[in-house]
Amino acid sequence: MAPGEQDGPSEAPESRLGFSLGRDHVSFDVDETVYPLEAIYGGSYLFVDRCFVFLSRPSPRVVNVRLTSRGPAMPAELDALAGEFLNELLSQVTRLRLSQATARIREYYTAAALRAAASAPSVDDLLAELESEELGDDPLEIQVPWEEKSGEKGTEPK
Amino acid sequence: MARITFDRSLYTPEAVEAAAAAYAEYADIALERSGDAVIAVIDAVTGGDRQTIENSFCNLALQETIVRMRRAPAPEDE
Repeated sequence: MAPGEQDGPSEAPESRLGFSLGRDHVSFDVDETVYPLEAIYGGSYLFVDRCFVFLSRPSPRVVNVRLTSRGPAMPAELDALAGEFLNELLSQVTRLRLSQATARIREYYTAAALRAAASAPSVDDLLAELESEELGDDPLEIQVPWEEKSGEKGTEPK
Repeated sequence: MARITFDRSLYTPEAVEAAAAAYAEYADIALERSGDAVIAVIDAVTGGDRQTIENSFCNLALQETIVRMRRAPAPEDE
């Protein structure tokens, strides 16, 4: 028995969207071949702050989701809650499929980034390379003082 | 007294145990393990509305299950 279930007949409000409505809860079946359990968990995790979520398995590959409001709720509000949950479920499935489809390329990029980071020269290597460079040639005479270049000592260039 | 059935394919027994331990202060919860389910028998409730405590206990069991599932290493691709 799920929490809050009571024996005996009770007034069952009608759902505009075809969900099973109770006094303060709404429930519906989810086909696990369409919505994997990971997606159901993802949607449930986002809804545990808003309402009480309970999962049960009425038959193999089918998960029954029961959402109970935290306070009094009208049938339309319960309908909206279930509708939002199913929208979120769809979003979770899309995210999951995308994640699975791009898993290899993400692994490749991560591996390439790690390889590049491992082979990058250190600061000491760069300094050693700079030290070893030949700085003898000075075709632009950058190292020659201005006085020597112009031949006049003590005069400012005009 | 309420009996709540947690299907093992949806809830991990460890998560239900953790939730029962967390709610021990508010309710007497005994766990019975059967083949494909863990049944929580909720007896006396203290310090709150029975329905709210039962629902909150179930919420925590689900939350703990999800967190534990996500922490577990993903299965290897074939």
